[in-house]
Amino acid sequence: MKTFKVITILICLVVVGVGFIEIKKHKPTPLKFIVPKGWPKPIYNFKNNPLTVEGFELGKKLFYDERLSKDSTISCASCHQQFSAFATFDHNFSHGYNNTFTTRNAPALQNLAWQKELMWDGGINHLDVQPITPIVAENEMAETLENVIYKLKKDTSYKRMFKNAFGSNEITTERMTKALSQFMVMLVSSNSKYDKVKRGEDTFNLPEKLGYEIFKQKCASCHTEPFFTDLSYRNTGMPLDATINDIGRMRITNNKNDSLKFKVPSLRNVDLTFPYGHDGRFFTLSNVFEHYKSNMQPIHNTDILLKNKLYLSNFQIGQLTAFLFTLTDSSFTKNPLFAAPAYTKPIILHQH
Amino acid sequence: MIIKNLTTTLFCTLLITIAVAQETTTIQLKHKVGDELLQLGTTSYTNQWNEQFTVNKFKYYITALEVEFTNGNKNYSWHKKYHLVDEANAASKTIVLDKKLNNIKAIHFLLGVDSIVNTNGIHTGDLDPMKTMFWTWNTGYIYAKLEGQSSSSKAQAHSFSYHIGGYKANENAVKKISLLIKDNATTDNEIIIEANILAWFNGAKKLKIAEEPICHQPGKLAMDIANNYEKMFSVKL
Repeated sequence: MKTFKVITILICLVVVGVGFIEIKKHKPTPLKFIVPKGWPKPIYNFKNNPLTVEGFELGKKLFYDERLSKDSTISCASCHQQFSAFATFDHNFSHGYNNTFTTRNAPALQNLAWQKELMWDGGINHLDVQPITPIVAENEMAETLENVIYKLKKDTSYKRMFKNAFGSNEITTERMTKALSQFMVMLVSSNSKYDKVKRGEDTFNLPEKLGYEIFKQKCASCHTEPFFTDLSYRNTGMPLDATINDIGRMRITNNKNDSLKFKVPSLRNVDLTFPYGHDGRFFTLSNVFEHYKSNMQPIHNTDILLKNKLYLSNFQIGQLTAFLFTLTDSSFTKNPLFAAPAYTKPIILHQH
Repeated sequence: MIIKNLTTTLFCTLLITIAVAQETTTIQLKHKVGDELLQLGTTSYTNQWNEQFTVNKFKYYITALEVEFTNGNKNYSWHKKYHLVDEANAASKTIVLDKKLNNIKAIHFLLGVDSIVNTNGIHTGDLDPMKTMFWTWNTGYIYAKLEGQSSSSKAQAHSFSYHIGGYKANENAVKKISLLIKDNATTDNEIIIEANILAWFNGAKKLKIAEEPICHQPGKLAMDIANNYEKMFSVKL
């Protein structure tokens, strides 16, 4: 009888112990968001979506999953390519479902945790709702949320990953976009030559140094450091393309003063994100300089700083270009953490 | 063993008794067009401007529902803060409050979704963007949707489509609705609220399908239509 009791107690202890291990195993591993030194506090509310390794990995899988589109040919990564700082490389417009084109140039995805509004016109007010836009757009992924969730629910690996990230295998729109946000906020580019110079780890050569001085005088009031954008909407004298009829910010505000205003794009990784402009009308940096120098068509609401265009000598253009190339962050565009999961081994995130 | 079974049986009986004894108050929403009960599909109705129309979709958000009592007791708030009413989903037209409520003076709710929910990211349940009550190009919830067809419409396929929303200061289309219930206590624990679609077309704004078949963004037209439809509710005594 006594032996029986002892055995029972032992079994109970083992059961409790195993249960404890199981519980511990299912708790996702917190992932720390590191704010680069000297940068402001992020706008993204991490309290509503705590970052975890499992959430990040799930977000990455979703980001690279073509099944998010109607015919399973387009993923987020199709138009947001890592080697192009998550813009579409060498395309003015991106390719959508059934041989369609987007009407705007895909922006680079970087430093999103600091962006209050998204899209060229700022129409999206929160990162967590942003992925819905390309998923349902007829000229992008052309899918319905209902079908996307249906497809994800059929995949056992997703069931497991949702459980690991969120505690149960329930798959919802909310969990899907929050996982995508966990991946996207981690896309921080803060390790270019410029950043290294700022941190005292590197030095500019002479053209870069001169270019930085010109930049601070002529460009920095809109392309403000450290993001190289002040995230405002401005009319830079780009005439309307009548084949697209994109009125920019005015579409969102219905305010005439916002006509043809677009968000100031970040210049980080600018060498990799060509073509430039909201509709990718500038194929090279020299096209952009040429625009500011002479081709601009100022109208009533063209930015006050550009009313008389922006004179740049060829010498200045050369220096500026040299400086802009220092904004390329290859540790970002080649970081295996952000690469397609199918092509990499499982990666343990190191916190440093 | 017998004792254990007996205990379980007794416990279950007790639970069932409690469940039965706990009565509820329900609010039934009835959708009408003039004097007729709304039927989605081919039934033809006529608005105040003599325009014939059919209705394919009729959906709206009832949020932050509160019950006010005649005796001045603290208001009762329904636990489900965001509720999507959809003519195509019969269950959504019955609101079951968690307990029996007596001496109801009035019912208050928002027709629409508060600005916080419009700006703080992604939501689930009735607020899931999958419910298609959400603008994906200009973030914000669609508070009310009325879609159908009318020979008066010059839009594609003679359709008319009103998607009403907007939370920004100059575009706010959220409406606070207050409905007075009988002064006497309700006895049958069922309150019937009618929503009449004809209210959409007439009010401060004379909404003619021929002139304005489409409203798909926040702004003046959406606010005008919201001003009309805020008067669509009435309590059936």
